[in-house]
Amino acid sequence: MRKESRYMRDVLKKQETMLGVSVTARKSFVEAMGGQRVLELVLIAVVFLVLVPFLGAHRVTDFAIFCIFALSFDLLYGYMGRLSFGHLLYLGVGAYTVGLSLRYVTTNPLLAIVLGVVAASLAGMAVGAVTVRVSGAAFALSNLAFNRVGWFLVMSPLKEITGGENGLSIRNLSFWLVNFRNPNFRFWFVLVALLGVFLFLRVLTASPYGVLLRSIKEDERRVRFLGYNTYFYKWITFVVAASIAGFAGALTALNYGYVNPNTLDVHANAGVVFACLIGGSGRLYGALLGGILYMLITNLLPIYFQRWEFVLGVALLLIVFRFRGGIWGGLEALRKSIVLRYNASSSKKGVSQ
Amino acid sequence: MIYAIMYGLTVGAILYLISVGFSLTFGTMRVINFAHTLTYTIGAYLLVASLRQVGIPFLWGGVVGVGVAALVGYCIERFVIRRLYGESLDYTFIATFAVFLIGVDIIKWIWGVYPKPISDPIGRAAEFFGFVFPVYRILVIVLAILVFFGLEFFIRKTMVGKIIVAALDNKEGVRCLGIGVEKYFTIAFVLGSALAALGGVLYAPITAVHPYMGSHILLLCFAVVLTGGLGNLRGTFLASFFLGMLISITGRFWPAGSEIVAFIAMALVLLLRPIEA
Repeated sequence: MRKESRYMRDVLKKQETMLGVSVTARKSFVEAMGGQRVLELVLIAVVFLVLVPFLGAHRVTDFAIFCIFALSFDLLYGYMGRLSFGHLLYLGVGAYTVGLSLRYVTTNPLLAIVLGVVAASLAGMAVGAVTVRVSGAAFALSNLAFNRVGWFLVMSPLKEITGGENGLSIRNLSFWLVNFRNPNFRFWFVLVALLGVFLFLRVLTASPYGVLLRSIKEDERRVRFLGYNTYFYKWITFVVAASIAGFAGALTALNYGYVNPNTLDVHANAGVVFACLIGGSGRLYGALLGGILYMLITNLLPIYFQRWEFVLGVALLLIVFRFRGGIWGGLEALRKSIVLRYNASSSKKGVSQ
Repeated sequence: MIYAIMYGLTVGAILYLISVGFSLTFGTMRVINFAHTLTYTIGAYLLVASLRQVGIPFLWGGVVGVGVAALVGYCIERFVIRRLYGESLDYTFIATFAVFLIGVDIIKWIWGVYPKPISDPIGRAAEFFGFVFPVYRILVIVLAILVFFGLEFFIRKTMVGKIIVAALDNKEGVRCLGIGVEKYFTIAFVLGSALAALGGVLYAPITAVHPYMGSHILLLCFAVVLTGGLGNLRGTFLASFFLGMLISITGRFWPAGSEIVAFIAMALVLLLRPIEA
């Protein structure tokens, strides 16, 4: 008995020390992560700033907005593993809400952005409550159906206020210090917004909640067995993704000073899926990289080559058959193999000495 | 009102022809085939081309359309979908969507983007109790019902059909009996593509033929398949006529709503009875 208790005490002591170590390790880890995050944000900002002289600020602003949208899609598809073909609905809702609220409700663009995000999240709550109950292709296509419903609502029954095919021009773009008529202000505003969204998603996906999302992607049934209400988590994620997409939509509207029904176009969903896949889904950097690449392709390719939809299709097939991880996944694999080879060679040296 | 019901029956018939293949492929192979309505578009376009450029009668144009679309369906199955059995649904979805993009772009390349209207090949109208119906639409409805009974016969009486239904239920079990399931999947797929093309051929004189005609009907098909139950062929039959009637009757009282009422019905069905797929 006594022996056993001593043993137990030893174990406890050991555990204590281990816990202590782990706590301190965690602290330094968190600090390192903080530093790393700042570094990451700086890096992203530098990449976008480097692009400016080549493409012009207005185009890079476009790119950054699309990247925000791709990030929101990546949360849904890459992290939770739910492919939606109707994510553009929230972009459109955000954009139209900003347009309409600046016309009828307020003169403050920032308030309009908030309203746009709220409207998109409300739409996400309503649609998500239905679509989250199914998964796989049914999820993708029912979202597509809702996107189509939204497009139809804008084009036909709400034509009087949304302008139908003609779109909606936005009034009151400037307010106090906030002047969305100035391209430089737009660029900086969007860049800061992108960094904010990136940071938010970084924290979110690194949290236990993010781990839960990835486990839902791997095996939802097991997560349910562990006692989690997966519908609720899926719904919340859907709403978060919809809100961020609505934010991107609000920025799109303010960037162009004009909302057209193409923001809701069902076919454009392929673009964001493509962006996530080409960059590497399930990785925030992949979404960023894919967003930039997709925008480069669609902005520059049609100048030289008319059949770019064809190219897009072929590239998608190639990704599905050969490069599942996308470009970022390929880079990660490359780095891993290099590290492995380096480790192997250094350990061999150790042995030989 | 009678006319609305008649139109609803026509739409339901077309929806049935297109979505039954969708239901078959989804049920058997667990593949959402975005390219399914590509064969529908190809069928309609080949009909237009053979009527206008070659100048052969409607019937033969339809045969050419269905035949070539079945061939295209076979190629899609052979070169794209066969590599993706057992993979995550997302990848098949994206791959078939890529095929859809490529196909639509090729169609735009060959025939241009402008809609091509073609006229009713029969052009006569029959009169019942003082109501005038175009004979063509009655023919479409009769054809759909014939296809339904033909499929029922094919599935319940022939060996191939029985194997397909068994594989729908339990793929592994059928494979354990020493039957090469893939071959029968190919048959089901080509059959579905041919039926979709038939739907396209029949629908072409009622609506206009344009490159993106497939993407809209695909959504309706999907609503039909989800409402009727995945891989449930009788359910698909009932659901397509039900949704066709719903669309047409809503269109009579609230024209703007006819486009979305099918999706509302689908959402209600999903809410009441969630599907794991």
